[in-house]
Amino acid sequence: MVYKLTLTLLTFLLIAPVVSAQETVAASVEATVGDPPMIDSSLIPAPPSDIKAVDTDNDHGHSITVTWELSADDGSGMNNVLSYEVFRWVPFLMDELDTLRAELARVAAEIDSVGRLTSELKDERTVVRAAISDMADQMPEAHRMYPEGGEWRLLDKVVSGVATYENTGGKNREGSDYIPDFSDLYFRVEAVTIDSTIRAASGVAGPVQSFGQWFNTGRTAVFIAFMFFGIMTVFFVMKARRGSELYVRPLAGIEAVDEAIGRATEMGRPILYVLGLGTAADVATIASFTVLGRVAKQVAEYQTQLIVPTYDPIVMSVAQEVVKSSFSDAGRPEDYNEDIVYFVTQLQFAYVAAVNGTMLRELPATNIYMGKFFAESLLLAETGALAGSIQIAGTDEIAQIPFFIVACDFTLIGEELYAASAYLGREPILLGSLKAQDYAKAAVIVLATIGLIAAQFEWNWFIELFHVVD
Amino acid sequence: MKRQIPLMLVLVFGMFLIFQYFIPHETSEEVYEFLLDWITIIGIFAMALAIWSLFRVAVAKVRTRKENWGYSIFTLVGLFSMMIFGWTAPNGEGWGWYFVFVLSVLLSIGMLVQAMTVKSGRGLWAGLMLVFVIIAVLIGIFDNAWSFYFMSAEPLENPMFRSFFDFVLMPILATTFSLLAFFIASAAYRAFRARNLLATLLLVSALIVMLRFNPYLAPIFGDYMAKTSNWLMNVPNLAAQRAIVMGVGLGIVATALKVILGIERGYMGKG
Amino acid sequence: MKKTTFILMAIVSALFLLSWILKAGSLSGETDNYILQGFLVTFSAFLTLSVLSFLYADNPLYKFAEHLFVGVSAAFWMCMGFWTTIVQNLIPRLSDGLSKFFEQQPQPGDYNFFFFIPVILGIMLLMRLSPKGGWISRWPLAFIIGTTAGLNFVRYLRSDFIKQISNTFVPLLGTEWQGIGHFFSNLDLSASGQLVAIAANWVIFLGVFCGLIYFYFSKEHKGAFGAASKVGIWVLMLTFGASFGYTVMGRISLLVGRITFLFRDWLEIIS
Repeated sequence: MVYKLTLTLLTFLLIAPVVSAQETVAASVEATVGDPPMIDSSLIPAPPSDIKAVDTDNDHGHSITVTWELSADDGSGMNNVLSYEVFRWVPFLMDELDTLRAELARVAAEIDSVGRLTSELKDERTVVRAAISDMADQMPEAHRMYPEGGEWRLLDKVVSGVATYENTGGKNREGSDYIPDFSDLYFRVEAVTIDSTIRAASGVAGPVQSFGQWFNTGRTAVFIAFMFFGIMTVFFVMKARRGSELYVRPLAGIEAVDEAIGRATEMGRPILYVLGLGTAADVATIASFTVLGRVAKQVAEYQTQLIVPTYDPIVMSVAQEVVKSSFSDAGRPEDYNEDIVYFVTQLQFAYVAAVNGTMLRELPATNIYMGKFFAESLLLAETGALAGSIQIAGTDEIAQIPFFIVACDFTLIGEELYAASAYLGREPILLGSLKAQDYAKAAVIVLATIGLIAAQFEWNWFIELFHVVD
Repeated sequence: MKRQIPLMLVLVFGMFLIFQYFIPHETSEEVYEFLLDWITIIGIFAMALAIWSLFRVAVAKVRTRKENWGYSIFTLVGLFSMMIFGWTAPNGEGWGWYFVFVLSVLLSIGMLVQAMTVKSGRGLWAGLMLVFVIIAVLIGIFDNAWSFYFMSAEPLENPMFRSFFDFVLMPILATTFSLLAFFIASAAYRAFRARNLLATLLLVSALIVMLRFNPYLAPIFGDYMAKTSNWLMNVPNLAAQRAIVMGVGLGIVATALKVILGIERGYMGKG
Repeated sequence: MKKTTFILMAIVSALFLLSWILKAGSLSGETDNYILQGFLVTFSAFLTLSVLSFLYADNPLYKFAEHLFVGVSAAFWMCMGFWTTIVQNLIPRLSDGLSKFFEQQPQPGDYNFFFFIPVILGIMLLMRLSPKGGWISRWPLAFIIGTTAGLNFVRYLRSDFIKQISNTFVPLLGTEWQGIGHFFSNLDLSASGQLVAIAANWVIFLGVFCGLIYFYFSKEHKGAFGAASKVGIWVLMLTFGASFGYTVMGRISLLVGRITFLFRDWLEIIS
């Protein structure tokens, strides 16, 4: 009760000066308007016509697109239209909201200067916030009162020749550019000449309400690609599951992995597996986990030593999980220890320094680099080459592939890294998705060829199909 | 159960993020921003796991007296000094007993490791550790020249924290980075020796681009070198980049889809 | 062996001390902390040289720098993560009380109890440390992988796939094709010439085409298909060479930067 009372009182206290200020402004405007200058009516341009206001498409709401027909005197006729001014009818309640926002900003500044949130300031802030929220809730009602309790306000100017304007506001009620959704908004456009008193107003467009959409039609191309690719993947995976044979061409880098593990076992030296600098958010790292799983399983079977220094804490956790499961799949859970996969540091070159040291001291028979690599790729691969290890690399970072090609024995280029997991497993369901990838590539070639022809003959509709809104 | 729930989580969140892309609505945007923040926060908890792993591996090396174990002591010293610097800061100009404090904390950790390592005479090391712990605690309580901070970020301004960054991290970092210049030379040499068609192609195009940027040799070839090099960078380069990018894109998309649908479980240890 | 090591160590220490004294002496006019500053600059130079010594062979100095580097950098990241993510970002969003306790500026938006979810997930992740509760740590990992897989799926589908397809849509006969007659009467090899532009478009198209064929997995690379795939890998190699050459030139400048530090800031030979 007391809280409500304070709220009302505060609102009133805040509003009173604004309302009275409004009145004075209105009075002064009247005073100047009282003696209108003589306007040569023959100079008045034709008004913009056919004004339309619609909710902006493919957005989260809080935005209206206004369009109109150019004035007959814009670019032709008298050709004296310089710009268009777009107006929106704004209820006075918006000003009151602004006052409350200023109040909130004052409280925030006070909290800033005190350096911490005292309980008085906290209460004050809560009250103001509640008032803002309360008032924002009244916005649809205030807009319904049109044309009572509000006035036309200039939003913006657009240059002549342009017949569209997007009035986009914020979604945050506490921000000054807030435009309420589901409120009746009204717009009007005026054609303005070089003498700003000579102008012509359009009719009023509205009521129109802004609201958010549930599907972005500008991204339909991506949606179709998603459906196409998803269905193909599922189809080929199901087909593979039913047991149809799928051919895959040999990849030297992948066949080398098996040989490398055997070699390490014979030499009695460890295998170093580097997951790169990627995080678990990089799909290249996820692909690398699968390869690590295979390697770890074989390592467990052959009882070879495995070293996995990691760069990212989450990657470390996942990699531990992967290696642990692989060891138990191989029937040797007792050989697993937590120090196979260990954390080094999250600083790029500190990581490199440590891994380089490990290479020269542990002298691994094989170094495997799979995942995301940056400038360190060459430092690692060269050190490994100098130490005489067999090296197998795979990355999708185009800039690093040349270094791996030069310094490693086998390199998986780009997409081959993603194919590696399917290859190593030789499981039909994983191979099935490779088939889907290949079909997508065929589709690319076909579409690109049609696109070339379309570009030559300027069939823009076809090119438009691939247009995606960011 | 232990595997089903994680797979469900992957499916639900993966699908949500895919559909979110097509939904411009406010609610969908908010949830999206939330989820991205969550990942960062979980990452920090993971950092604790990582530090634990680093500590355990270093201590294990010292305890088992593995080859080069002595250097692991420096890892521990670096780790703990930097951690102390990161949570303490001097109150004024002077340092008081600060460095004695840092030293006694380091020594007490050293004694602890030693006590765990030795087979006999553990009591002695444990006793010594206790002595250093007491010294550290006493200094911590009675020395007013510096304080601990866990709530406000003064330690980021701690001169020692900054000096370690400027004079330990930076020089090693920059030098390791500059080693690249030497390594690239040896890599280039390696490329020169390669005797097959693919390596030769790589080498020739590398040479053309390198010569173009060489201030002494470029003028000899005049305009042609620059033109060829530009052509290489703009035409075949663009084509190959595009082919790789499309392939990588498909690989990423396919892998992501397989992960979401639970077809690829390699990251959970089941390929 | 032991003897040489000792002698070397002694020489290194003596040089270190000498440099410290000289550096402190030269700094004594400029700063109050000249002894500490002199030490830090010398130490920094010592670390730089230690890392450079790796070029000769792995040696105790490098091992020292490397191990110290690992410890300090891990702690540095942990402190930065704690102060910037947990204290400055997470706490102010959780609750008023906590931000008051941590003396943090509360966030402008509302508090969000949803931020307790990543905290819970983070704690689940820490359960890895307990031998029995490890399985629950898969939940947060599944959350992260699912979310990012979904995110990457649409992101790459758009940028690496659809956008790249539409980028290949270039008129193969040039934008200003005016017929065969015009083409032959204007044969010009300059960069702006119609012939060069058209040839570039063809090379790009065929390059992409052959590159994609190279990445074809489920068909044997034989006959015409194999020939196209071969052309594809040639184009890829040309590109890798160009990119290699380009990077080589860039890396050289890094080394120059490090040498400048040694000769200017430490030895003060050049200014």
